[in-house]
Amino acid sequence: MQSNPDHDNYRSAQKRKLALRRLSPLMTILFLLLLWQWLSDRELVSPILVPPPADVYAAFAAALDDGSLVKHTLVTLGEMLYGLLLGVAIGLVLGYAIAKAPLLEYILSPIIVAFQSTPIVAYAPLLIIWFGTGPTSKIVTTAVIVFFPSLVNAIVGIRSVSPRLRDLMTSLNAGPWRAFRLLELPSALPVILAGLKTSTTLAVIGAVVGEFVSAGSGLGYLVTTARYQFDTPLVIVSVLTMTAIALSLYSLVAYVEWRSLAWQRRSAA
Amino acid sequence: MKLRVEDLVVSFRNPDGELLPVLGPLSFSVSDNEFACVLGPSGCGKSTLIQVLAGLLPPTSGAAYSDGQVITRPLSGAAIMFQDTNLLPWRTVLDNIALPLEVAGISRADRYRRVRKLLPQLNLEDFERAYPAELSGGMAQRVALGRVIVQKPRAWLLDEPFGALDALTRESLRLELLQLRAGARQTLILVTHDINEAVLLADRVIVLSRRPGAVVADIEIALPRPRAADMIYQREFLLLTKEIRSYIDEQRA
Amino acid sequence: MFVIIRRLSVIMFCALLGGLVAGAQDDLADERILLTFIPNIQFAPFYVGIENGYFSDAGYDITLEHLHEPDVLDLVAVGQANYGIVSGEQVILARSRDRDVVYVFEWFQQYPVGIVATGHNGLGLYDIGDLRGRRVGIPGRFGASYTGLTAMLHGAGLAEGDIELVEIGFNAPEAFCLQTVDAAVVYVNNEPLQIINRSLAGQCGDIGIPDVFPASDYADLVSNGLIVSRSHLNDNPGRVALMVGALRDALRFAIDNPAAAYLASLPHVDALPRESELVAALTEAAARQGDFLYAIPGRDEVAAGREALRSRLRQQFDNETLAQMEVLLNSIELWDAEVLGYSDLASWETMRDTLARMDLLGDDLGDLNAAFTNEFVAVDDA
Repeated sequence: MQSNPDHDNYRSAQKRKLALRRLSPLMTILFLLLLWQWLSDRELVSPILVPPPADVYAAFAAALDDGSLVKHTLVTLGEMLYGLLLGVAIGLVLGYAIAKAPLLEYILSPIIVAFQSTPIVAYAPLLIIWFGTGPTSKIVTTAVIVFFPSLVNAIVGIRSVSPRLRDLMTSLNAGPWRAFRLLELPSALPVILAGLKTSTTLAVIGAVVGEFVSAGSGLGYLVTTARYQFDTPLVIVSVLTMTAIALSLYSLVAYVEWRSLAWQRRSAA
Repeated sequence: MKLRVEDLVVSFRNPDGELLPVLGPLSFSVSDNEFACVLGPSGCGKSTLIQVLAGLLPPTSGAAYSDGQVITRPLSGAAIMFQDTNLLPWRTVLDNIALPLEVAGISRADRYRRVRKLLPQLNLEDFERAYPAELSGGMAQRVALGRVIVQKPRAWLLDEPFGALDALTRESLRLELLQLRAGARQTLILVTHDINEAVLLADRVIVLSRRPGAVVADIEIALPRPRAADMIYQREFLLLTKEIRSYIDEQRA
Repeated sequence: MFVIIRRLSVIMFCALLGGLVAGAQDDLADERILLTFIPNIQFAPFYVGIENGYFSDAGYDITLEHLHEPDVLDLVAVGQANYGIVSGEQVILARSRDRDVVYVFEWFQQYPVGIVATGHNGLGLYDIGDLRGRRVGIPGRFGASYTGLTAMLHGAGLAEGDIELVEIGFNAPEAFCLQTVDAAVVYVNNEPLQIINRSLAGQCGDIGIPDVFPASDYADLVSNGLIVSRSHLNDNPGRVALMVGALRDALRFAIDNPAAAYLASLPHVDALPRESELVAALTEAAARQGDFLYAIPGRDEVAAGREALRSRLRQQFDNETLAQMEVLLNSIELWDAEVLGYSDLASWETMRDTLARMDLLGDDLGDLNAAFTNEFVAVDDA
């Protein structure tokens, strides 16, 4: 193939555009950090309300050093992962059942809608009473909050499987398991993965809300205790750690999505 | 495989609950290794007929038979080719053609060996890793055809397979179909609304009326085989198409 | 359409007039007092201050807001609010981390935290020392409960490691009644009562009547009181004096006439029982108490009068109706003192030492004397 200078120019312009797009979130973060430092230097906000970045970094280093940050992060992460596993599994299985048997939807919808439309913060204390003050209650809180997106996306995903492709599987005499593995699952996968991305960010909320109500460890607990010790830098460190966890999990699912949905990308090109 | 329909009627219920006849009553039979084209205007129930023969749709009354047995579920010896390609968009060419083998529980190595043997005949050997959306219409249709052939069916049920293609691609695919079928002992029923296509391909053309489709003519096509693209300019061909057109025009009047 | 505009203009005119009249009526300064928890009968002195005009007499139009304790402290420290109510240990903790607030009036004379323990099944819990190896519930390792517990354990010669501390959130009655804990750290004026009422109603397993061990029996700790920021205190000492005076008078009124304090709380606390029989009985009791107070009775006489009121009400009403009135009466026992508002250095020192033992203090606490002042607490009649 012959190289075309116009085409190459266009390609490099595209590359620059893409690089800029990738860098812009970093630029935003950098800008916010600089703004923060500037506000602190000028003492435009009280250090009691917004401690300077250096203090937050010191709190981060100290919490990292004595192992407390890692310990609490692992606790929260563990609760989140178990909660995700439980909530997503139940959501997907129930969603599949509902997609297949619409009658189930009529039977279950009052419970599901009630669970979903009530803020988790309102009934988290109940979950603590029912499931104890240990990690179980946080896992349940997380599971409850991540359950709904999984359920809805499983229903939507399975129901949107093309009826003509179903005819194809029927004409091939495919049994229910093969129809599920070869048609329904791959067809619903994009929608299910989109739901999973939502679920991962909700999982942080579930675990931390549970820890706020009652806990002996975890990042939510760290926020509460740091707050009562007027250690605002440590509060900020804990909050940023939650953000980091949420972003990492989200990116992980996004990566899995990117890998498993290569066909969509190539089809769109 | 011998296929037969007897007093076949298919009706759908419309939203008001009334029964709407779409097909029949209809009776004809296609003998072993015969290539029959079912020709009819749009909406005469041709696709419905294919679905009944494929065992995907139960008739309202009457029945379809294969080798004398009533068809109640998809036949293992029959393969269906759908109106559009109906490929799985997340599967490569290789995996789309291999799908029937995978459903049948054949090992991956075996599947790929059998499909790869087929790819040159389909002119797809350079595209085995491509996804359906990356293919041209003609190539995608050849993948769908490959998916039929790989099943080694005794009966092919083809539902307007070339309807969505441009004229040139359609023409070349018709001949490819004849080549692919040549030598094998298979019964074919192809549904179309294209008179030239029907006459060029078939041993027999069954002309259906407008909805609800019923047989208005059953015409033997005695043209010699192998058929070629330029046959359409021959006198016999023109006479046959003219005769068939007259049955269809009668319908319109 | 025109009708709507006409009506709107009438309404706006009325609103404008009303605003003018209202504006002409008061020259009161708007002021917020930041409280913790939620609207509750325990804040009765503040409701009395509003309803009976103590605050307006001092020139204030008071709005009460409820926040988390550290937030109260930070908002006062940075001057977004002038007054707040927090517990003493929060003052020390905050001051050790650069928050210059001053404690000017001690509201609770006794530290309100205590431990409630099951007295059943021969668990043998007769004293804090008997908690060794037991499961003790606590909202969390923070706040007044944790501090109170640490001080109590220390007073009994125990350390935290000697008990099994279980974080249960603010669910002590549930955890206690479900027996997931053997004892729980509670606010002594409120939660023991809930547990006892549940126990009497048969909803609390077989724990019988639990024992209550108040922290104040084990350590003298500085408790809840009024804070102001250093800058507000320096700039407006006269206004602080007026505020403290108003709060002191309102508190004294609530202590002297709990029935009237309950009635003053009704508009502020939605959850208060307000059956007409109860309101009638309290109105009558409040009037009688007003007459009685004309004779300027001594503290002991007033206290005896409160207990007499309690038993009279108990004969007339069931536990549920009376629950919040009982919380008020219990709270008054923690408030009452000869001189209201006075806090002594010893209780600050005990608190500081307790916090130091818990390793909670920041780098620089400075002079403990700067944390509080008794300057505004009237001692002239003493």
